[in-house]
Amino acid sequence: MATAELTAWTAPCTLLSRREVGPDAIIMELALPEPMTDVAPGVFAMLSPADGSGPEIPRPFSLYDLPAPDRATFLVQIMGRGTQALAAVPPGQEVLCTMPLGNGFTLPAPERPVVIVAGGVGCAPFLHYLRLRLQQGAGARTHMIYGAREASRLYDYQAFAALDGIDLRAATDDGSLGFHGNVIAALDAGLANGTLPRDADFLACGPAGLLHGFADYARKQNLQAWLSLETYMGCGFGVCNACPVATEPEGPLGAWPWARTCCEGPVFPLTSIQF
Amino acid sequence: MLQTRVGALELASPLLTASGTFGHDPAALRFLKTEDLGALVLKTVTPEPRHGNPAPRMAEFTGGVLNAIGLENKGLAYWRDHVAPDLAALTVPVVANAGGHSVSDYVAMTEAFDAMAGVAAIELNLSCPNVADGIQFSTEVAALKEVVAACRKVTPKPLWVKLSPNVASIVPFAKAAESAGADALTVCNTLIGLLVDWKTQKPMIANGTGGMSGPAVKPLALRMVWDSARAVSIPVVASGGASTAADVLEFVVAGATAVQIGTASFRRPDAISAIALELRELLTENSTSLEELRASLRWPHPVSC
Ligand SMILES: Cc1cc2nc3c(=O)[nH]c(=O)nc-3n(C[C@H](O)[C@H](O)[C@H](O)COP(=O)(O)OP(=O)(O)OC[C@H]3O[C@@H](n4cnc5c(N)ncnc54)[C@H](O)[C@@H]3O)c2cc1C
Ligand SMILES: Cc1cc2nc3c(=O)[nH]c(=O)nc-3n(C[C@H](O)[C@H](O)[C@H](O)COP(=O)(O)O)c2cc1C
Repeated sequence: MATAELTAWTAPCTLLSRREVGPDAIIMELALPEPMTDVAPGVFAMLSPADGSGPEIPRPFSLYDLPAPDRATFLVQIMGRGTQALAAVPPGQEVLCTMPLGNGFTLPAPERPVVIVAGGVGCAPFLHYLRLRLQQGAGARTHMIYGAREASRLYDYQAFAALDGIDLRAATDDGSLGFHGNVIAALDAGLANGTLPRDADFLACGPAGLLHGFADYARKQNLQAWLSLETYMGCGFGVCNACPVATEPEGPLGAWPWARTCCEGPVFPLTSIQF
Repeated sequence: MLQTRVGALELASPLLTASGTFGHDPAALRFLKTEDLGALVLKTVTPEPRHGNPAPRMAEFTGGVLNAIGLENKGLAYWRDHVAPDLAALTVPVVANAGGHSVSDYVAMTEAFDAMAGVAAIELNLSCPNVADGIQFSTEVAALKEVVAACRKVTPKPLWVKLSPNVASIVPFAKAAESAGADALTVCNTLIGLLVDWKTQKPMIANGTGGMSGPAVKPLALRMVWDSARAVSIPVVASGGASTAADVLEFVVAGATAVQIGTASFRRPDAISAIALELRELLTENSTSLEELRASLRWPHPVSC
């Protein structure tokens, strides 16, 4: 995967709406200064309150959806200072947005099956991805396991369930919806009983624990896999070197021991990084 | 209105990027309007490649960030082949920043930058706090004088010396750099700090200590600029905590000729253009100019040095 050209813009964007989707997450809808078309799924934005009320550095969020070419949504789980400050921005006020950043996912040919493994807000890069797969006419060959601790943390689950023709499977640790267990166990069960294809692109995003579990599993099972990392970032646009991920010496990025998650990632082929 | 002269360099604006906060190459220039940026100061380059520190490399505190990147860079040979050729075509002057471990490292870097057509000025980073054995040049007057004098001999290009705030008084360092032939001083690099996670009882960044930057260090940088600008007759380029046009004017009043914008670019990559816009408005509204404000600080009582 080549390093993306830096095509991002930065601008204060009016917050059009904000709605709760679960106990600790919201969807923020921003008005964009210019229409965005042809944007790869899995790219991200750096967001902060435009009035400077947030921390010194903005926070990265996957582009969630484009309800219109000049409107973007973000699924934001409220964690600490940065996301609290964002969640406190009232509609009508502005959010500073730099976007699109990073290398997203490349869609395979329609015939090639895709298996997505997402945990919690790790679902965020995939709504747009799934829409593009449906446009490809590849819904029947697109599988997604969406997991969380409990059903209420399957954020905006209805939006995914509404995508007709995708094989969507829920997995919850407490069994409150779908498979009783984590996403890796659900993946393993699906591969074992033949309801998931083995010869497919496997894509994962979620908290570090999930990604490590997925990376170990994919290596053991020899799956062709990509990870979207949620590494802590400084600038998000490639200038500060604060988001290093160790590269695989034998892999395509092996010429240098580190890759910048914000520029060479956040989506990496599993074979290119040590994770 | 914003035109500024730093020694022999004519700049479109007093606003510069700060080394290590705007990249190794000109890619991020796309966020800025040319007329807003005085010079592009690029990330420190060292003779050999440096892998830098393990992660995490950055953490935040109220009003600032702590970083220990560890001077990750691909080294001089890579920079010469892959970065330098693109610089000559830029409309904005480029300040290349040199790092190293020894006098001969700094001399080699200065000679190399001197030979590159796209490099308008050379900034010596003698003060990176994260490199174990790099510290003595910025905290020992004799060592600083020796390295600056040696670099001065090998280039006629403007030579800027970036000083460290991690000293009791910056005045002897400012004077030593001037007497060794520096054309300008950059005041100052990051202040060494520590952030602790009490739950894990570990430092927040992998290196342990790191360099503090951002709005919280502005008062320190203002003092350092004020002290050094009075001690020397070469221009002082301020660095430390500027994020608004008012901050920039405060540095100018304290004696700075130009101001580098570092951490503020992380919040918005177009920070320098946003500040330039605000700066023109402030100067117009108040019917004043950079020249009028420069070094105009009126001290409340007689100054004893
Ligand atoms: C490419 C990308 C896409 C993302 N997409 C989404 C998304 O769509 N939705 C979503 O909800 N979240 C997403 N995240 C995660 C999101 O950016 C974080 O949850 C958010 O930054 C937390 O900020 P906070 O200040 O609220 O939380 P805090 O947990 O308080 O984190 C902020 C502070 O904790 C420290 N810190 C946190 N993590 C680390 C770390 N790994 N290493 C070192 N220090 C750390 C830092 O000092 C930082 O200042 C994404 C992350 C990345 C990298
Ligand atoms: C992430 C980061 C990396 C830096 N890297 C360098 C560097 O390579 N060389 C250097 O001379 N200064 C470096 N600095 C220091 C800045 O150039 C600047 O002097 C300092 O951050 C203070 O200014 P600020 O508060 O505007 O950021 C770095 C600062 C940060 C935050």
